[in-house]
Amino acid sequence: MAGWIRFNLFSSWYNSVLTIILSISIALALWFGLSWIILQADWSAIYTLGGRFIIGQYNVEAACPGQNCFWRPQASLLLITVLLGMGWRVAGGGITKRIAIIVAGVASAFAFLPYGLNEMGWDVRLLLLANVPALAAGWSLARFTQLGTTFWVFVFTMAAFVLTVVLLRGIPGVPFLQPVLVIYWGGMMLNLLLAVVGIGLSFPIGIALALGRRSHLQVVKLLCIVFIETFRGVPLITLLFMSQVLVPLAFPENFPLNSLFRAAIVITLFSSAYMAENIRGGLQSLHPGQAEAAQALGLPSWQTMLFISLPQAIRNVIPPIVGQFISLFKDTSLVYIIGMLDVVEIGRAFIQGNPEYLANAKELFIFLAVLFWIFTFTMSTVSRRIEHHLSIGKR
Amino acid sequence: MPTLPRILTYQGVPIWRNVLAIQWTLQIASGVLVVVLISWFLVNISNAIQDRDIPYGFSFLSREYQTPIGHHFLDYKSSDTFLYAFIVAATNTIFVSIMGVILATVLGIVVGISRMSGNWIVATLALVYIEFFRNVPLLVHLFFWFYIVLALPPVREGHSISQWIYINNAGLSIPWLSPSGVEVVAIWISMAVVAVAVGWAVHGWMAHRERDTGKSSYPLAAGCAVAVVFGAVAWVALSMAGDGAPFVVTQPEPHGTFGRISGGFTVPGGMFALLIGLVTYTAAFIAEIVRAGVQSVGRGQTEASRAVGLSAMGTLRNITFPQALRVIVPPLISQYLNLTKNSSLAGAIGYSDLTNVAKTMTQTAPAVSIFILIMAAYLGMSLAFSLVGNLYNRHIRFTGS
Repeated sequence: MAGWIRFNLFSSWYNSVLTIILSISIALALWFGLSWIILQADWSAIYTLGGRFIIGQYNVEAACPGQNCFWRPQASLLLITVLLGMGWRVAGGGITKRIAIIVAGVASAFAFLPYGLNEMGWDVRLLLLANVPALAAGWSLARFTQLGTTFWVFVFTMAAFVLTVVLLRGIPGVPFLQPVLVIYWGGMMLNLLLAVVGIGLSFPIGIALALGRRSHLQVVKLLCIVFIETFRGVPLITLLFMSQVLVPLAFPENFPLNSLFRAAIVITLFSSAYMAENIRGGLQSLHPGQAEAAQALGLPSWQTMLFISLPQAIRNVIPPIVGQFISLFKDTSLVYIIGMLDVVEIGRAFIQGNPEYLANAKELFIFLAVLFWIFTFTMSTVSRRIEHHLSIGKR
Repeated sequence: MPTLPRILTYQGVPIWRNVLAIQWTLQIASGVLVVVLISWFLVNISNAIQDRDIPYGFSFLSREYQTPIGHHFLDYKSSDTFLYAFIVAATNTIFVSIMGVILATVLGIVVGISRMSGNWIVATLALVYIEFFRNVPLLVHLFFWFYIVLALPPVREGHSISQWIYINNAGLSIPWLSPSGVEVVAIWISMAVVAVAVGWAVHGWMAHRERDTGKSSYPLAAGCAVAVVFGAVAWVALSMAGDGAPFVVTQPEPHGTFGRISGGFTVPGGMFALLIGLVTYTAAFIAEIVRAGVQSVGRGQTEASRAVGLSAMGTLRNITFPQALRVIVPPLISQYLNLTKNSSLAGAIGYSDLTNVAKTMTQTAPAVSIFILIMAAYLGMSLAFSLVGNLYNRHIRFTGS
């Protein structure tokens, strides 16, 4: 311990001076920072917004006339918890277990938030508490039935995604599932939904584009290059704005394309252009001997690509790929430009509409920064685990 | 096996198994598909333009824009044309990008080197900085700074530091050099160019001599000194000759009832927030790039350099950094591009950059044409950045064997 301190903090005279000065500054910063957070900062804007951060305007009267729609996002959350429970059992602990416990724990802890019963009713609180049994149910489903395999988890993930969209969108004519227009979707729910769609789709599209760019077919190659460079050269915000103004013109008038759908497509295409470049980098880093050996063994070229080149290429570029996922998640906050109330825009619109909170805007944005940081930090932690897990074979 | 008609085979192989035939069919099919899709979009757009009387074409560019632009570096009046307003807005974007790139590089290098510091506190602080700033959306950063600037007191009650620097909700005002006359400035600038050229020549000559004789002199310091002395002499000579110094320092001064600040240089509040947000955000990415670059240089290089007697500073400057640059520059260029594109978020905090002005223009001008212009502008900026970066990259990469 003493050796560590001497080596890392007091190795030379200027290091010692630096250490002392910095320690004092950090102590002062912590002292004033903590006293600001606890005593001076006014967090009431966050308390007032509350559930708006999570679902936006989903359950306002205009979105959901005559009934309470809050249970629908909550039911989607329950589906996710069940999945996490299954994942915990299938992955056999590790980081999946930790994430599952944290999600279910935090969700059920929200049931005890100090709101009045007229602001947050029993039904809402009970549904939040139900996350714990849901986690247990998912775990037991994987443990005691034949469904505890990666394949079934994958199938259930797809099913849960479709169910979530159906639940949120609603079905015309079904009494409990009145359709809710997408303009009322918002909050963190919207950010996560866009991120999940973007990540799920931009990965395969990115692979296709990367292969196209490396193809010997000149026409395909040219098309891929033009696509990639155009989408990489223009800001996402411009593309989103374009999706609002120009894209509706490019389709016939009654074409079923709502603004959320268009935004999701634009975000996906934008992200897949970057993804393609990452994967191309991975493919370039491979030794040509790998593909040559596979061909010498008689594998057709598509099998060489699918079973030899791509797995190695993707393993080599996991950090930039996850970096791209993170930046996609951060970029979902740009949907404000098409008038959707995502979690950041909810906060900004609140400040704009209530000027008395103008002086407390910094508290709000600090809260949002921490909120985003929790998600992105989880993503990068998972990425490091996967990387570590996959490099075991490399030793 | 039934024999095929001759026309369906090529050298005895059915054409649907012929590699060339398959490849060409695929290419033609994909090409046709894309062309059909694009023409379908174009037909739809032109139908929409006809049916709904949507304006189109580029004739609006010579019309008067009739809308104020919040902040502009070039002179601008509402009676100027759309084209000129577009250029004014593009200048704002370019200025913010260049300032942002310079500041973010400096901050990024400082943080990146701190991250590798032997001092645990310095390294940890840098890590915390990087992890926090990288993982939060830029929009949240921008709003944070923007509302801090908005919460500053108005100009009359603003903070000032001994009449030199003013901080208030209109922005940050600092003393600045302003030219005293067109002629004198032109003369001095041409002299300064000569001075730099002479300094460059001195540096080249001394470096050459140092290589040939092995005697240590200080070519870089000497070159800079010669250039500075030449420039200063020219400055003094011009001041003595008559019109006074080519540039004079002007101090910001509040005027009038609302206390508008004139003189000096004012960084408007929106741009101030935009620059702080962009710089602190991008610097976190640059720091990681710098660290990866420096760590990519083998430890043997540093050890060998120390063994032949170079100082720690000399090792960093002459051995580590030139090699690290080869790894650093390509991702650094893409960060510069990202910064330029990210500056389009300015609209969210009310600063009039290219995207924001173009968005306002779509209310009075054809949206389709504006999108073509704006995409061309951003693609042009990206290409310019890539070109400069790639030229530099070619300059520093391994040459020879």
